[in-house]
Amino acid sequence: MAKQTFTTGQVLTAAQLTSLQQTAMLGGAASAKTASYTLVAADAGTAISMSSASATTITVNTALFAAGDTVQITNLGAGVCTITAGTATVNTSASLALAQYESGTLDFTSTSAAIFIKGAGATASSGLTFINRTVITAAATTTIDSLFSDTYENYRLEFYCQMGTSGSIPKLNFRYGTTTHSANYNYGFEGTSISGTASNVFNGSGLTSFSLEQVSSGGFATLNLFITRPASSGFLFANGFFNTPYKGITYGGGLQIASAQAWSGIVITTSAGTLTGGVTVYGMAKS
Amino acid sequence: MAKTNFRKEFPKLVKNVNGEQFEMDAEEYEATIALWEANEIEALAKQAEAQANATARAALLSKLGITAEEAQLLLS
Repeated sequence: MAKQTFTTGQVLTAAQLTSLQQTAMLGGAASAKTASYTLVAADAGTAISMSSASATTITVNTALFAAGDTVQITNLGAGVCTITAGTATVNTSASLALAQYESGTLDFTSTSAAIFIKGAGATASSGLTFINRTVITAAATTTIDSLFSDTYENYRLEFYCQMGTSGSIPKLNFRYGTTTHSANYNYGFEGTSISGTASNVFNGSGLTSFSLEQVSSGGFATLNLFITRPASSGFLFANGFFNTPYKGITYGGGLQIASAQAWSGIVITTSAGTLTGGVTVYGMAKS
Repeated sequence: MAKTNFRKEFPKLVKNVNGEQFEMDAEEYEATIALWEANEIEALAKQAEAQANATARAALLSKLGITAEEAQLLLS
């Protein structure tokens, strides 16, 4: 119900009371708009809904509202609805644009200024989703299943390790179902030392695992891989970087498993002795 | 690199399966130790080959009467 000035002795009708009750409980029917609209004084205390496939605006002018007045605005349409300062001032800590199904409230602080308080809206669909973190304590082998699925195509894998035996090399194999795949690992990583005087390479094709060969003299390493796993079944690709204190070298490179499988997990082993460390895996939203 | 006695150093071995730790059974233990021993033999062979190559390279440089840097210059 639009804001009114009641007079002494006025008899309110049932319709007026129902409308007031709805407004007080924020249950009043919204005033539906289908095109850009300029607010009028009667909109104070009401809700406005916008339904348009194209972009629209809600314009706010001065000398129509008093301090404390509010107007709720909801965008039902696919077109973005933007709250626009006409002759009034409109401030916000968020955005003045309402995407579909977003809503906000204009809260007037004077006749010429309002704050737009926008609702949280939908959570962005993009970003990393945590899948698994496994802590490894002096284990000879570590198997982690159910990491990869058709839910995501791209993954980020963070692996850090401290080798328990001097000269030992960590090895990474991928799994499908309960089978550990031990063939067709092709990779090439190259690194340059901090001093820039040494260039080191570890690579190979048709190998039985992805071996982080340069760990042996450092005993400690971190590996970050960005994995592309085809939906259902296909070759697995990854690129990333690998750090080990040995000569202060950071390596960058790529990995491919030239076998078509529905990749689902990993197993970490060593060339000798046990390994302590951890693995964290995130999935990246498809869009 | 000296040869390691893995059986003495690791009388028991642990495997981590989907976040849970288990002690390896006898068959898994033997397979893992055998793999580690084979890996170490291969690493020792590589190390011996690298040392032999380094010795031969030093002898050749001495015979030619040039430094390693001068040899790099010739190859560049």
